[in-house]
Amino acid sequence: MAEKCILLVEDNPDDEALTTRALRMAKTANDIVVARDGAEALDYVFGEGRFAGRDVSQQPAVILLDLKLPKVSGLEVLQRLRADPRTRLVPVVVLTSSSEDEDMLKSYESGANSYVRKPVEFGTFVHAVSQLGVYWLLLNQPVPQRWQPSP
Amino acid sequence: MNAAPRFPVRRKLLAVILAATAAALLVAIGAMVAYDLYLYRQSWINDLRTQADLLGRTSSAALTFDDPAAAQENLDLLRYRPRIRAAVIYDARGRRFASFAAPGAAPLPRLPGPEGVHVAGDHIVVFKRISNEREILGTVYLRADYRLYERLLGYLGIAAVVMGLAMAVAYLLSSRLRETFVRPLLAITAVASEVSERRNFSLRAEKLSEDEIGLLADSFNGMLAEIERMTRHLESSNAELAREVAERRRAEEEVLRLNAELEQRVRERTTQLEYTNAELEAFCYSVSHDLRAPLRSIDGFSQALIEDFPQHVPEEAKGYLARIRSATQRMGQLIEDLLNLSRVSRGELQRRDVDLGQIAQEVVAELRQREPQRKIEVSVWEGLKAHADARLMRAALENLIGNAWKFSSRTAEARIEIGALRDGEHATFFVRDNGAGFDMRYANKLFGAFQRLHGAGEFQGTGIGLATVQRIVHRHGGRIWADAQPGKGAVFYFTLGAPRAAGASELAA
Repeated sequence: MAEKCILLVEDNPDDEALTTRALRMAKTANDIVVARDGAEALDYVFGEGRFAGRDVSQQPAVILLDLKLPKVSGLEVLQRLRADPRTRLVPVVVLTSSSEDEDMLKSYESGANSYVRKPVEFGTFVHAVSQLGVYWLLLNQPVPQRWQPSP
Repeated sequence: MNAAPRFPVRRKLLAVILAATAAALLVAIGAMVAYDLYLYRQSWINDLRTQADLLGRTSSAALTFDDPAAAQENLDLLRYRPRIRAAVIYDARGRRFASFAAPGAAPLPRLPGPEGVHVAGDHIVVFKRISNEREILGTVYLRADYRLYERLLGYLGIAAVVMGLAMAVAYLLSSRLRETFVRPLLAITAVASEVSERRNFSLRAEKLSEDEIGLLADSFNGMLAEIERMTRHLESSNAELAREVAERRRAEEEVLRLNAELEQRVRERTTQLEYTNAELEAFCYSVSHDLRAPLRSIDGFSQALIEDFPQHVPEEAKGYLARIRSATQRMGQLIEDLLNLSRVSRGELQRRDVDLGQIAQEVVAELRQREPQRKIEVSVWEGLKAHADARLMRAALENLIGNAWKFSSRTAEARIEIGALRDGEHATFFVRDNGAGFDMRYANKLFGAFQRLHGAGEFQGTGIGLATVQRIVHRHGGRIWADAQPGKGAVFYFTLGAPRAAGASELAA
């Protein structure tokens, strides 16, 4: 079975580049799939639109989700993921610039597994992202396959 | 008079006059009649006596000479006196010598009675002895109609006529006189009833006499004048009162109108503020999200440049890149602080009982953790209780203690003290340090955003911390001020005001 991918939902190309770079620096081997807005992210996980025909039984190891996204907002993506049995249990880490309490609260209420602020300072940013990689890809035990919904 | 209290005075007066007149007349007539009857009787008795005497004297010769015819002749003369009904002359032995009887007279007495006069029924009877110097010759008997009742009746008739006349005269007279007597009274009565009906106190009774009724009229008029004066006074104070009430009502309406206007303005203002707040929130959200992203790129790619092309970047350029990075980090900190400043202005103030001492201890613990190498003596007083928003108070203490921590970093034996001065219910909290302090000449600039009293090279900072603290204190309705001396340290004092009524909405300061 191939390594599961990481789905990065990010509209800012700079942030995308920096996050990818940070993940690479943290020696993450997993594929990184990038969705540039909320709609694209949903297309990917549910195998629709550009990703029609994708094997939706293969879901990302972790979804790194920005909140402020074009078309469909991060929170809405999160709610849709949690409402669907196929993606209900996929770990979602909200990765955002916002430090507003309300964003954090709503994210957790909508079923986020983590809430991580993107720091301005690159060193800290790299540290945060690499920690994420280590935690979600190596330490965290995913839900066993038998509990995953059959395709 | 009590029996007829309803009759008007006019009639009562008439009745009094007539009754008095009648009584006087009755008494006068009675006395006159009684006196007349007495005289009448006396004169009759005298008359009869004289008559009897006369008969005796004229008949004494006839008796002496036993000549009844002569005596009879004498008696017969009596027919000229019709009221003498019967006469008898008895001889010395008591036998009838001669007699006279008017037609229809009562039977004559057979024997003479004792001498004297007496009244028997409606007759007067006289027995009179006839005598000469030596012996009794006989007795004369006379009986006459007394006619007392007739006379009495006659008198009564006269009395009735006199009474009638007198009463008529009295009536006429009194009806004239009583007008002069009653009219002033009636005038007063008329005025009184008009006053009571129309409540016109300006009326006055005409004074028609100088007697008691005149006095009554005077008193009545005096009373009316007094009532009129008091009524006027009452009316004027009533009018005054009404004016005051109207005035007050107008003022109340004005107040209500102003209140309504004020409420309307408050509503508009609140809507405006809510709108502004919403905008501010959207703005802050954007700032928090969008302003940081480019900074992250600048910082991230500067770092990437150094890491990815170590050979191609000269040392000087690396220095420049380091400056770029530190500038982005300062900018990031500025954004963070600005967000904090705006955050303390937003949201409801949630007051509850908080222990500022405990919060201070936690803040100090965090600072110690961040800089474990710092040797600094911190004393936090016991019982720093306050009724305040815990989240905001933490932000305020983080800034104040953070400042004290920062500005005492170059002091050899750094000391920070957190305590309170209490004056009854009111507490003035303070955070004191023995650090760098500042010149009080610039104290007015302390709490402005982006105002710094120290160069960036001296102490790091964005100049937003104290502005944030001031805003927090102001939101609690409190006051903040400072006391400092350059090189000796600084004390920041603040109060937290009285807790507002629960549920009162809190608008952004």
